Amino acid sequence: MTIKPLLQSLLVLTVGTLCTVSGAVEEGDTAPDFSLPSIYADQPAITMAELKGKTVYVDFWASWCAPCLSSLPLYNEIYHKYKDQGLEIVAINVDNPIEDGLDFLLETPLDFLIPADPDGDAAELFEVYGMPTSYLIDPDGTVRLVHMGYRKGDIEIIEAAIVSSLAGK
Amino acid sequence: MSIIRVLGLLSLCACLLSSCTEVRAWERGYLARDEMAWEADPLESALNDHIFFSKEASSGGNSAAGGGCGCN
Repeated sequence: MTIKPLLQSLLVLTVGTLCTVSGAVEEGDTAPDFSLPSIYADQPAITMAELKGKTVYVDFWASWCAPCLSSLPLYNEIYHKYKDQGLEIVAINVDNPIEDGLDFLLETPLDFLIPADPDGDAAELFEVYGMPTSYLIDPDGTVRLVHMGYRKGDIEIIEAAIVSSLAGK
Repeated sequence: MSIIRVLGLLSLCACLLSSCTEVRAWERGYLARDEMAWEADPLESALNDHIFFSKEASSGGNSAAGGGCGCN
């Protein structure tokens, strides 16, 4: 009996473990396609493919995430400011149960698209590694900006990137 | 023979560890639920702390900051 097979199996396990942490969507990547039902039962499903040709800001949020809740009303202002220029905001709610997210929306109505992803299917596709994480996607489907967390003043960085994307720069 | 046993044990440990799974960012809401708290009853927890501090003549150092949300 040799130790070579044991060492090989250890190497495979180590490489396998390392591989699970890579693969997150980064700037310059093509944004993954997803299709999710709206959090509101009376609204149609939201499909990424239908938004091609628009600047899309995808944000992952949950009611238990305090920075998410402070950023969402600001995104609503940005949405109203730039929607006529072709901006779409898709704020994916990952609450499970979704009623937790709906409770927040009752108090804070938001006018952009809000899909529900209670099982984390889209979050898995993007390999979200912190909450909130947002992705600014150019009209050609390329990820222009990945922004994790939300601190005071971040909205200015995000707005500047949105303006550049809308201008096609 | 002993080195093979050690390596065998190590690889067994590695196999068992690989079954551990991380809580993904979007699943951390489960950790924020009331039933996940170390102490379910805040009143009982405060009483226990009071007794502990009285006995030890010291206070603090019995909890850590943050709830494991991973936000920011």
